[in-house]
Amino acid sequence: MSILKIENLVCGYNPKKPVLKDLSFSVDEGQFVGIVGPNGSGKTTLLRAIIGLLSRDAGSIVIGHHRIENLDRRELARRVAFVPQLMEPVDGFTVEELVLLGRTPYFNRFSFENEDDHDAAAWAIEELKLGDLKDRPTTDLSGGEFQRVAIARALAQEPRILLLDEPTSHLDIRFQVNICKLLRKLRSHRSIIATFHDLNLASRFCSKLILLKNGEMIASGKPDEVVTPQNIWKAYRIKVSVRNNPRTKKAKYVLLP
Amino acid sequence: MVRKLNKNEEKIAIASLSAFLLIAVILSLLLGSVFISPGELLGSEILWQIRLPRVLLAALIGLLLSISGVMLQGILRNPLADPYILGISAGGAVGAAISIALGAQFVIFGISSVPATAFIFSLIAVFVVYKLSQVGGRTAPETLILAGVAFSAFASAILSFIIIVSGSLQAIYFWLLGSLSAASWGNVLTVIPYALVGAGVAYFFSKELNALLLGEEMAITLGVNVENTRLILLGAASLMAAAAVSVSGLIGFVGLIIPHWIRLVIGPNHRLLIPVAALSGMLLMVVADTISRTILSPMEIPIGIIMALVGAPFFLYLLRRRRLEGK
Repeated sequence: MSILKIENLVCGYNPKKPVLKDLSFSVDEGQFVGIVGPNGSGKTTLLRAIIGLLSRDAGSIVIGHHRIENLDRRELARRVAFVPQLMEPVDGFTVEELVLLGRTPYFNRFSFENEDDHDAAAWAIEELKLGDLKDRPTTDLSGGEFQRVAIARALAQEPRILLLDEPTSHLDIRFQVNICKLLRKLRSHRSIIATFHDLNLASRFCSKLILLKNGEMIASGKPDEVVTPQNIWKAYRIKVSVRNNPRTKKAKYVLLP
Repeated sequence: MVRKLNKNEEKIAIASLSAFLLIAVILSLLLGSVFISPGELLGSEILWQIRLPRVLLAALIGLLLSISGVMLQGILRNPLADPYILGISAGGAVGAAISIALGAQFVIFGISSVPATAFIFSLIAVFVVYKLSQVGGRTAPETLILAGVAFSAFASAILSFIIIVSGSLQAIYFWLLGSLSAASWGNVLTVIPYALVGAGVAYFFSKELNALLLGEEMAITLGVNVENTRLILLGAASLMAAAAVSVSGLIGFVGLIIPHWIRLVIGPNHRLLIPVAALSGMLLMVVADTISRTILSPMEIPIGIIMALVGAPFFLYLLRRRRLEGK
């Protein structure tokens, strides 16, 4: 069942020069979609449009059964959560307090967090294996640990769609794999859309890839359909050969000398 | 290092601050330039007509300025923001100076001319600053702060001009230093609604202020209407500060330092920060006012001087200790 349906999306920061030009695709429940493409291809812009930080110039975005313009901010925040590329820790906040901020769209004007909110935060902390760190100040954590906190905060929103902007770009390879494994596990009952620079990582973990260039989709589908020498040449002007990893059966590119 | 308080410790912190406040209020009522034994005090005019309204006013001003400071630092996401940053002090000062210089004597809604003009000019100042910093229907916090600074510079030039041509340097200067010596029941009743409504607005917007700790865009993705929140909280903070300025002049320090001070100790969670900052601001003002009117009695030292003399070194100590522990 499709959770997100985007049709003929045109948007950007200047209506005369849109970043995304006529983009259409849909995402089903349980999918882990990787958005890949060169710098400036519109990956982050696409995420910002889905989370409502950027208004559309044309086209439609449908989330569940609702067109995005019919959802108010709070309703949208209960359906779509966003993990930015770099989130700053909050000085003086513990991991648990920061994760609880993810419950903001559920708070009423005259009440504060209730049992449900604490349960949701505890669940998110558990899912991201942060139990041991929950009382630690967020400023004390390593990059990999804090990225998990950032994801737990988004997960506490109980979103149908979890958006992540380059969740692995400033992590070492151990944490890159660690985060991707967690995300792959989290996709059941929701869908995950993340931008990646590392094609091999995206190909290894995502169930679907969308390859963008200059705001247009030049390929989409299963990772081995997208990661081909022809597509990579089209997108990046780089010559590669593509092999299938014998164990994971996932497409993997290798630079040609 | 900020230590996370659990629910019980939070209650204890609030209860003990309230107890300290009560003790400070009682001591402050007992002390003054005229010594009166506690037995006689209950029946004396001095208690009911002079000391009690003054102590209450001190506490109310403490609440108004500290909560206004918490809100402004939160919505502008700037640690240097205080209740005066958007031109309230400069506007209020010009208003008061005009009124003093002209020797105006009028009463609006039971408020005499100096506080009334100071209040009106403070709000005009915020309105002008807000309008000037609006570009295409949006207000960026940095623009707002810069507009406030520029407007204040402009207004202080007008203020200096008024002082020089009017010859009422002393009266205006005393107003600028801030004092509670004009305290009366009328003043107390005038500011009470601002204190109650303002504190309520701040408290019920603490979830928005907390979300803003993550930055403006993250707050939006958490469902916060950032523009509306900013407008409502700016309005509340400005009214609170203008009310305080109109009855007590420019009392510095509380609105800037109390929010930082409390954040250093209990962390930035506004659900706790707001009540604790309110109680601490009240306590600090009551203590500082008691010192200011008793230490060189019968002479009164302006309260702003006492607060900065005692508070600033203590704040620096806290700040340094925190940095050292962070290492």
